[in-house]
Amino acid sequence: MSSEEDEEYVFLCPECDESLKVNDSMKESLVDRGCVICGTSVTLKAFTKNPAGDSP
Amino acid sequence: MTLNRETQLSREETDSILGRHETGVLSLAREDEPYSIPISYGYDAEERRFYLRLVSTPESEKRRFLASSPHTRLVVYEEDDPIYRSVVTSGTLNEVPRDALTVDHIEQYGEAKRPLFEIWGESRRDLDIQLYQLEPDELSGRRIEIERDDTDS
Repeated sequence: MSSEEDEEYVFLCPECDESLKVNDSMKESLVDRGCVICGTSVTLKAFTKNPAGDSP
Repeated sequence: MTLNRETQLSREETDSILGRHETGVLSLAREDEPYSIPISYGYDAEERRFYLRLVSTPESEKRRFLASSPHTRLVVYEEDDPIYRSVVTSGTLNEVPRDALTVDHIEQYGEAKRPLFEIWGESRRDLDIQLYQLEPDELSGRRIEIERDDTDS
């Protein structure tokens, strides 16, 4: 997986409640393919900025 | 009288069957006790690797078998009378940890259909969904054609 610094977002699945730290390319894939855990379609609303990912 | 003509499938034919299906029967064992369940899978023909989402509840039989042994067999078959094809694979079931997930995993599990046979009636929040990869040690396919003569009818 990407390094901690690259994990810019926190993904929270609205269906299964799974929470994952993801980078930009993983975010795009999740929107494109759905939740990797339960398969539910997800939108950009499922992502928030990861505070730890902003640190230098 | 019925005659069976059996042939080995090529790699391409085997991959084709696995690609056009999305369900199979997964078998696990614990000591001398067998356990088989219908599952949904995704298949990467290039890597010859299976991707599975397995859903269980804390006290379920499935959980106990999954915890007991990573060795497994998966059977996928189809019938289009008089031709029957089957693919059998044996290998190791490896859990994919959440912190090891990559873009590639997201894409592969996107190909793996929702677990058609799993219990989605319960809230997903109450279910334990684990991601697994099945790395085949053996993977082979067979084609059987039933040849019947007039006396069968």
